[in-house]
Amino acid sequence: MFSKKMVLIVGAIILITVNVILLSFSTKSQSTFGLGRVGLSVVSPFQELVTRSIRFARDIWDRYFFLVAVAHENENLKKSLNQFIGKNNQWHEIDLANSRLRNLLNFQKAPNYKVVPAEVIGKDPSGWFKTIIIDKGKSDGLQKGLPVVLPTGIVGQVIEAAGHYSKVMLLIDRNSAVDALVQRSRARGIIKGESADQCRFEFVLRKHDVQIDDTVIASGLDGVYPKGLRIGRVSDVSQRNSDIFYEITVAPFVDYEKIEEVLVILRPQSQTFVSQQ
Amino acid sequence: MRYGFYIGTCLFLLVVQTTIFPYLPVLRGMYDLLIPFVIFISICLPMRESLPCALILGLIMDNLSGSPFGLYLTFYLWLFIGVRFIIKFLRVSNKFLLLVVVIVAVLIENILMIATFAFFEPAGQLPADVFLIVAQQFLWALATGPVFLLCLLTLAKRFNLQWDGAAPQPNAYG
Repeated sequence: MFSKKMVLIVGAIILITVNVILLSFSTKSQSTFGLGRVGLSVVSPFQELVTRSIRFARDIWDRYFFLVAVAHENENLKKSLNQFIGKNNQWHEIDLANSRLRNLLNFQKAPNYKVVPAEVIGKDPSGWFKTIIIDKGKSDGLQKGLPVVLPTGIVGQVIEAAGHYSKVMLLIDRNSAVDALVQRSRARGIIKGESADQCRFEFVLRKHDVQIDDTVIASGLDGVYPKGLRIGRVSDVSQRNSDIFYEITVAPFVDYEKIEEVLVILRPQSQTFVSQQ
Repeated sequence: MRYGFYIGTCLFLLVVQTTIFPYLPVLRGMYDLLIPFVIFISICLPMRESLPCALILGLIMDNLSGSPFGLYLTFYLWLFIGVRFIIKFLRVSNKFLLLVVVIVAVLIENILMIATFAFFEPAGQLPADVFLIVAQQFLWALATGPVFLLCLLTLAKRFNLQWDGAAPQPNAYG
């Protein structure tokens, strides 16, 4: 009834249609149909082995054969340390004053977050997406949606957790979005990933004051990242005549090309304003 | 021996491009090394072995990457179908053909990624460095893709690992 050629063409059309529908569904729903952890569990042990071997070899070089540069660096660090000790004293005084004032206002103390340190064992194989694999998973209490940070700033959030490994979407990934504030003027917007060394700060109204070198922090309103976590510094501000929003570029504080260890915040709690009874 | 070779090669390529390349600035723009491998298995292995292998590789890549689930699976499936289709008409021993196949496959993968951004992402905007990424991958594929594929084919031939009678075209290679 039908020729072989016709069957092949119809088969191909059906396959393409089903393929596009499934791909569209998985993109919209972020669903992996329960298969999202298979590859992580299989390949990550080998990634961990290779990454640790490379770091071991590099540490031997850095710690035993590269000591001349370390000696110079040590001198510079000592000088910096002396300066920072002075600054630390000032900050300690400010911290004490802050505590006293908070007590006066009956604000609840900022919560102490429980964090899990993790090591980066692999990076995204494609140049298009920005994710990393870390060596902690469900067995360490990690789950989808937890924020991942460094002392310098926000790294990203867990998007897939397997038994002992997890996949983290970086702040600079195009699918990433963080509700953020300009620390100085409290102008609010959304930080979106753009590329390796910059993010876009969107939906900031032009009536607010935003300047180059302003620090951008997490607002805490997205329910993922605790308020106050540092994100980056404003590197460019421009405005179109017809637009009500600024066009702002932010340079993240974290160097995403060189991340080796990260901290996963286990139970972020929103800062509440409960009066102490 | 044969399955050991394939599994070992897959793991090696996966681990290399997720752990070593990202730390070497010059290799950060490298194309997907599994493309030549999928072409290789499409040419050398019978369908009952190569199709599951391509699908498993796609699944693992989807797991390791931040791409929408199914993107690599889709690409490897269609790459497999495409290669099986063209070797019915063309001789695989033609090195120029291998060069063209690898480069076209790398470009198609990039087009698929760009299409994903354009059609499926909410904003629909392309990455700022889209041309840089495509250009880097194209140049790397041009320089190393066919060599890499030829190495795989030569290795398979030397260790007598290629098809065992169920290949798509017994005189296609060699």
